[in-house]
Amino acid sequence: MSQKEILDRVKAVTARVLGVDAGTINDNSNFIFDLGAESSQSIELVAAFEEEFSIEMEEDAALAVQTVGDAATFIAKYL
Amino acid sequence: MTVKHIQTPGRSTAIAGLDAIFQPQSIAVLGVTNTPGTVPHDIFVNLLSAKFQGVVYPVAPRKRHIAGVRAYDYVLDIPDPVDLAILVFPGAVCEQALKQCIEKGIKAAIIISAGFREIGPTGVEREKRVRAIASEAGMRLIGPNCLGVINTEPHVLLNASFARAMPAAGNIGFLSQSGALCTAVLDYAQGKGIGFSKFVSLGNKADVDEVDMLEYLATDPRTSVILMYLESMSRGKELIEVARRVTSEGDHPKPVLAIKGGRTAAGAAAAQSHTGALAASDVVCNAVFEQAGIIRSSSLEELFNSAQLLAYQPLPRGRRLAIVTNAGGPGVMATDAAIEQGLEMARFSPETAVKLKKALPAAANMKNPIDVIGDARDDRYVAAMEAVFNDEGVDQVLVILTPQSMTNITAIAKAVCEVHDRFRSSGKTLACSFMGAKDVAQGIHILQQHLIPHYILPEWATDAMTKAVHFRHWLNRDRTGFKEYRMDMATADAVITKAPDGYLTEADALKVLKAYGFPLVDYKLTQTADEAVAVAEKIGYPVVLRVVSPKIVHKFEMKGVVLDLQDAKQLREAYIRMRENLLKHVSAEDIQGILVRQMIPAGKEVILGINRDPVFGHVIMFGLGGIYVEAFKDVTFRVVPIREATARSMVNSLRASGVLRGLRGEKPSDVGAIEDALKRLSQLAQDFPRIAELDINPLIVHPAGEGCHVADVRIRLQS
Repeated sequence: MSQKEILDRVKAVTARVLGVDAGTINDNSNFIFDLGAESSQSIELVAAFEEEFSIEMEEDAALAVQTVGDAATFIAKYL
Repeated sequence: MTVKHIQTPGRSTAIAGLDAIFQPQSIAVLGVTNTPGTVPHDIFVNLLSAKFQGVVYPVAPRKRHIAGVRAYDYVLDIPDPVDLAILVFPGAVCEQALKQCIEKGIKAAIIISAGFREIGPTGVEREKRVRAIASEAGMRLIGPNCLGVINTEPHVLLNASFARAMPAAGNIGFLSQSGALCTAVLDYAQGKGIGFSKFVSLGNKADVDEVDMLEYLATDPRTSVILMYLESMSRGKELIEVARRVTSEGDHPKPVLAIKGGRTAAGAAAAQSHTGALAASDVVCNAVFEQAGIIRSSSLEELFNSAQLLAYQPLPRGRRLAIVTNAGGPGVMATDAAIEQGLEMARFSPETAVKLKKALPAAANMKNPIDVIGDARDDRYVAAMEAVFNDEGVDQVLVILTPQSMTNITAIAKAVCEVHDRFRSSGKTLACSFMGAKDVAQGIHILQQHLIPHYILPEWATDAMTKAVHFRHWLNRDRTGFKEYRMDMATADAVITKAPDGYLTEADALKVLKAYGFPLVDYKLTQTADEAVAVAEKIGYPVVLRVVSPKIVHKFEMKGVVLDLQDAKQLREAYIRMRENLLKHVSAEDIQGILVRQMIPAGKEVILGINRDPVFGHVIMFGLGGIYVEAFKDVTFRVVPIREATARSMVNSLRASGVLRGLRGEKPSDVGAIEDALKRLSQLAQDFPRIAELDINPLIVHPAGEGCHVADVRIRLQS
């Protein structure tokens, strides 16, 4: 799977879980600071990424990821 | 910036900067959520519920509104100026949020969020970065990892915290390093009807700490008593200086009361001297508080017991206490407690005796404690209170009530309030103890509403009264300066600079003391018995022999000391025997020689010392000396430098200070010589930061006018 494809799917999942317009999300968008993720939503996001990509991530490390671009890079390590 | 500044002369800019925290006109809360029961939600709602008298802006990315208030994606989107930012974002994004606050021109922030120093190395680094960002921009910062801040002033009404409720307004300022304790304190105070002026949770103290807050509350006209809960202190010397100023100076010195929890003296394990071992305990903290005029409490109950009395009542003029009670037993208990704690039972004037006799039944006790007996109603309480309030020999009044079947509790409570109001101008201190819980509750409530301090136990009342008397004495103390001696600093410097870390030899240690004017007897380092005899002939018998070796610290244990040698024969034999014995333990190269010294005439043995405290710097110690010093622990400490009066108070504060004043017809010791030695020691510690530990044990003190002599000294250097 290409990095761009991972990124697009991360943006789509993020938009769905956080209820924001996918068009307003960019690579540098911070889940908390820019997209308003609350702590429970951060956990939801990790679960949604795992489901989307059929992977199981190390939870603490996954929750420490701050931006959409970093999330795509982090997920790529599991694919 | 729209903050209203209190125009107080002498207020530093840094302290004035705290107005943005306590008196903001506009606040942005960054990271607010719509989830009730979470800190980021509740803190915003608390601001609204407390009826904050300014404007609040929630910053909540991608949310239209929070609790009905329009929300902003970023703080930079807020169209108006903002005085204060409250950060409730997770710690990981606080740096980013803080940078935007600075770009917005916000001059103060409270970081409620956790995820800093308390989580380990990552958090420590994050906290350093946050502090650096704020410091560079001149922004004042409370937290992180704190409960928040409360200001009950009617024109502010700020509850920037996640405490459950806004406390009542009052004249007590409270600051705490523990956020969890804050919520408990608020609940406790609410139950006791105690109000606050300012309430601050300091959290990790990345910027604003207890020293800043003391300075700020000192200038706050609504705060008359300051309470602190501290766990660690990083600016020990500044704390002493500022607390001393707050509790002593200005038109309205303010009592400062503190609980100090979790103190451990770093380096205690490494301490090898007597002073080091004794200084490792919490007594240094006690001494610091005493030196700064801070009243130390060991529990919340004790803290608020004293705070109520100091906040609500005039400061006692003296120790003389009158007790009015309807029960003999509690009256006796209160009397015992009062005497033990240091109060005096007032002796009533003949006029008072006549008044009491006239108003009370024959079975009543007219003497102090006045027992108005069990069937007393409000009229007897009023008569007894009027009599003692009118008596010039009474400084403080304690009213005790036990609920008996005929006791009209609420009427008595109201009568107490009425008498209190009528005699307000008398300047006398009043406290009450309505003993019990259920039956007396309504009466207690009336007293609390009237700001009359109430205590369930009479001994709690007398303890608070005693502490208030101590504060009065603190205010009335001798105000002295620091004495500066002309010392031979060059000689001491030459010894200390060239010596490696570790113990100085006795010869070098004596050289340092001699340069600083300590009283020493004649001595000389010798290498042979013949040389020793020649020295003794010159300085005169009797003499003492003391080995000088860097390998021998405890000379007595190693038989490296021989006392009271009367002639050449004794001296020669002792010299040879000592050398032979020592060579069994150390090599000849390790023995630098043997000191021959005049035998010091007998006197009282005291110990003086220096220790370096990790928080407060050099502290000096004084106590009764000799080999039992660590067993009895009758010692006192003060932080360097010490004032003239401080040296005196050190000598007087020993439990056994009577020994120095002379017992059973003995001549008093030369206390002035001890005070002089303490002041010289203070100057020595100030001049040489490398001195890590110093023991003069013993200093032999002779009768008044005959001075004192150093008998033994050890100095350890550490860079």
